[in-house]
Amino acid sequence: MSGPLRRLGETPRHLLVCEKSHVRHERSRHAARVRSHAYNCCVSFLIPECGMLPEALKNIITNIGEYYLVKNLSLHELVTHEFINAFVKKGKLIISVDKDTYEELGLQGRPSQYSGKKVMRYIVTIDLTDSAFDLGSKKHKRVLWALKEKKPLEFDFLLSWHDTGAEGSTLMSYFSKNQIQPRQPKTTFSTLRNLQCPVLHSNELQGKLEESCSSQELFEWLGAVFNKVDLDNKSFSFLSTYCCPQPSTVVEQAYLCTITGFILPETIIQLLEQLCCYFDEPKLAQWVTLTVHGFADSPVSWRESEHGFQKGGENLYNFVVFRTLDYWLQMAVGANDDCPP
Amino acid sequence: MGERRAGAGPAPQRVVLRSPSREFPEAGVRLSAAHFKQLVVSALRELHGEVGAALSVDVLTYEEKTLSAILRISSSGLVKLWSALTLLGSYQNKKCAFRVIQVKLYLSISPCIIWEQ
Repeated sequence: MSGPLRRLGETPRHLLVCEKSHVRHERSRHAARVRSHAYNCCVSFLIPECGMLPEALKNIITNIGEYYLVKNLSLHELVTHEFINAFVKKGKLIISVDKDTYEELGLQGRPSQYSGKKVMRYIVTIDLTDSAFDLGSKKHKRVLWALKEKKPLEFDFLLSWHDTGAEGSTLMSYFSKNQIQPRQPKTTFSTLRNLQCPVLHSNELQGKLEESCSSQELFEWLGAVFNKVDLDNKSFSFLSTYCCPQPSTVVEQAYLCTITGFILPETIIQLLEQLCCYFDEPKLAQWVTLTVHGFADSPVSWRESEHGFQKGGENLYNFVVFRTLDYWLQMAVGANDDCPP
Repeated sequence: MGERRAGAGPAPQRVVLRSPSREFPEAGVRLSAAHFKQLVVSALRELHGEVGAALSVDVLTYEEKTLSAILRISSSGLVKLWSALTLLGSYQNKKCAFRVIQVKLYLSISPCIIWEQ
């Protein structure tokens, strides 16, 4: 095929990693996966055969703390030792900058893995709690000078903080001069009626012909549910041929809850635990799902893996927890992303 | 105990164009869902001929008020569809433009705009 024709059929690379395990298995990595995905903007859970929000989940949602918006915050404020001592137990500052900004900043970084032949993007990583970054050290002085005087950078920040209850400064008091605004995560609830749900078997990740659907089909179906897509089209339909993967069952009702905001991994772990506890008592539901979206423009996805926006900025993961507490974990990323862990 | 599989292209993946909205400079234009689909097909035919028009495009959702929709296309058809929508300039002698708001590799919830809450 000639060059131009071949380019017409090209698509951005994307990865969907599916793994299965058991929640109570000692080597299960579900909690580690959640904890290593720090920047989450949307969490949804779907409970088939359920018409009302279970009390335990309601409590968690009610107690989700605020996050904060600070506008026009100078980046150098995040590398001062006052800030590090007050809020950072262990952490790195990772900045993704274009070529011009990188050259003006004068800090050591590495080229983006997804730059192509001509490097146009660089990643600068500063370990804030490294001993080489102690107060008064050469490295600290250089970084502070670069961010404060050489190339002052200002951004609007969303901040969220896992408050361990220890005494000390809070984000509100620390950034009071920066007009910090508290924000409450938004929650929406809905009960879906007569929903076609795919039949799943926990030990059949790839599905089995006429017996169960694959994890990929489930993933696509879930997106259709979130977007209120019609699941009942026919193959000869003009508008759309999308339909619920088969085999499927119709459930009378399903509970869908979506929380948007800057959501901490610890909150997601609590939600996941409660969804597992949902099956402590006999339930009609065969499985429940928990879907988490990362910020599309975050410079990292899991841990410090580079994340690029490219065309969509996808970095999301989805748990399917079965009655037996077996689970499927699907992690999806786009073109400019490392493979999920 | 665990099992892990990774899926990536070139298996037939679906790509989703979210809310390509139509803009008509003249107000009061109404399009049904079927008309909208026909418009997409004719845009493909105009740029890519019968081969383009034969691409399987699903209109997953359509809002008549805002003339916006979510389209689904196979991975290999993305470039053809996107280019056809972008280059369509008129419909039934009326000037118009498609605006592709989002292109996603997975059908998922729309991104959260939480800065403007």
